[in-house]
Amino acid sequence: MKLEEYKKIVKSISKKEDKLKNVLISFLIGGLLGLLMELLAVFLNKKLNIPLDTAYMWVTVFLVVSSSILTGLGFFDKVVSFAKCGLIVPTTGFAHAMTSAAIDHESEGLIKGVGSNMFKLAGSIIIYGVVGAFFFALLKGVM
Amino acid sequence: MIYLNSFLICGAICALGQIILENTKLTPAHLNTLFVLLGVILSFFGVYEIILKWGGAGASIPITNFGHLLFKGAYASLKKDGFIGLLGGLFSKGSLGVTVSIISSFLVSLFAKPRH
Repeated sequence: MKLEEYKKIVKSISKKEDKLKNVLISFLIGGLLGLLMELLAVFLNKKLNIPLDTAYMWVTVFLVVSSSILTGLGFFDKVVSFAKCGLIVPTTGFAHAMTSAAIDHESEGLIKGVGSNMFKLAGSIIIYGVVGAFFFALLKGVM
Repeated sequence: MIYLNSFLICGAICALGQIILENTKLTPAHLNTLFVLLGVILSFFGVYEIILKWGGAGASIPITNFGHLLFKGAYASLKKDGFIGLLGGLFSKGSLGVTVSIISSFLVSLFAKPRH
């Protein structure tokens, strides 16, 4: 076997392993986050007598605020590049996208910088969520 | 048992996202948009409510839940007040995450040092 072919095979296999590793990391970190937040919700429910629905809302608030602050401290980017989808798909990714866009354009001022750019990355989530919810709700209403 | 369910469902959604990212050229922004729409569609078929009951926080954290909340708010207000209710109440359930994100992002951007 030629050296080049050998290198090619090694490369293709190691790429596959990388993919598997990333998926596994996402699964574990995402799962761990879900587990911890469930613990927090049950704690709020049992110890502080907050109804379960409201407890889940507090969990969302906690996640958004903490990931926003961690992004502000410049810490979150490193964690995300390791955790990948484990932190992108949960609400943390949404808050991270908004806060980092706001901070990146802060030097352009409060209106044209922070105000105009805050939804630069996260805006499409809201827009397509609203468009989808509007038409699907209409469809279900007509049905 | 709810803890295990929570772990499994949140992990599975995140892993699915990573599988999509690894095998396509989509960016995380595409992925989250796709997942919101997925949440809307699952909610349309009444599946997401079942997943939420089964998975607890594991199903309420991922961005798919935002789509579910938008659909739920939209449909509930459509039933209640007709078309004008749909327009007025679409955000009635989903506004929590957006409001908190805006407020906290604004405050953090006031205090954080600009990055270069």
